[in-house]
Amino acid sequence: MEIKENLCTGCGKCVIVCPVQAIKIIDNRAVIDKNLCVECSICYRNAECPVNAIKSRRLKWPRIIRSPFSDVIGTHKLTGIPGRGTEEMKTNDVSNRFGKEEYGVSIELGRPGVGTQLKNIELFTTKFSQIGVEYEPMSPVTAILSDDKVKIKEDIRDERVLSAIIEFKIPKNKINQVLQVIKEVEKQIDTVFSVGIVSRVMEDGSIPIIDILNQQGFKVKPNAKINIGLGRA
Amino acid sequence: MLAAGINDKYPDSRKRLIRTAEIMKKHNPTNMMMEAAWKISPVITATFTDIDTLKQITQTLKEEDLGVSIVISGLISEIKEAVKEVGLNMHTVHLSLGVFGKKELLPSDKVLEITTGCGHHCISSQSVEYYVDLIKNGKITIKKAAEKLSKPCVCGISNIKRYTKILEELTLL
Repeated sequence: MEIKENLCTGCGKCVIVCPVQAIKIIDNRAVIDKNLCVECSICYRNAECPVNAIKSRRLKWPRIIRSPFSDVIGTHKLTGIPGRGTEEMKTNDVSNRFGKEEYGVSIELGRPGVGTQLKNIELFTTKFSQIGVEYEPMSPVTAILSDDKVKIKEDIRDERVLSAIIEFKIPKNKINQVLQVIKEVEKQIDTVFSVGIVSRVMEDGSIPIIDILNQQGFKVKPNAKINIGLGRA
Repeated sequence: MLAAGINDKYPDSRKRLIRTAEIMKKHNPTNMMMEAAWKISPVITATFTDIDTLKQITQTLKEEDLGVSIVISGLISEIKEAVKEVGLNMHTVHLSLGVFGKKELLPSDKVLEITTGCGHHCISSQSVEYYVDLIKNGKITIKKAAEKLSKPCVCGISNIKRYTKILEELTLL
């Protein structure tokens, strides 16, 4: 994003809508901190700039990687999927992506609304490589991992995005190892992250993983996304 | 939602997804994905504020058997009972363990209730504070402010009725 200095009147409307506080008023003009800006386009679409001073510029590599990880209506060229994540459990009644003996895990770095540098992903992937997890092939984060599934490609490591979701699945017996990694990374990371666990529901309607998570000191929220099994191939 | 490469390969898949949207729209959602996106998006979302409406929608979707994947976000205990009443079972859940890391970077819990109203992080914390100030100064109604705050995200998940309630609480602080 760019704000045309010669047009800006310093009204501050763009400052209000920016989700990562990347715009400031300096000398009566709005100025974008290019390091903080995640290229989400929210200022461009929603600030209602009275003088049309906000311009959407064609971004160059590597900065262009910020946009699909930040702009909710963008599509990842790497995966062809709109939005930041994948279908994950939303179509599990059709895709059977998560079987009865598996759990899915999503770790969304930068959520809620803080943002993250892509290199923070490595804090997790370095540890997950020792556990052995199956990354979601259609995930945008999987697409930017190097072949060893540990490192983020060198030229984009420092790029800042609104959120990056690490998605993978594991056999049930590895869940405690994954939870341990979450506890360890929480102490090292310079941003926030949100964690979700995907589980099939037992035929009697129970969800045994909730007790396991509680025993490990995690508080499962009372609300969830629930696939009610009406889909079919 | 249509499963990519599976549901969406049938010629009538879009028709089935749009029929799902029509059923939801008929039940007066508090917010819904804009109709222009129904023809292209693989997912259509709508937000409701009471469990009885949810039961009626689920019942209709079950009867029409459209084969489209349906995901409900809400309290597990309520949804478990609601789908059971219409003869369905929960299939898969995505549980939330909450937020970890440098939580000192986050705004107050009350403000977060609005900025995390959908998962897309399009609502800034300072916009919540801005509208709370306008409400306090009598320059905008709470309802109008709630509608304004729901605008940045196109997903249709923002619960405007809930935003109204949270703004009421914030303006009392």
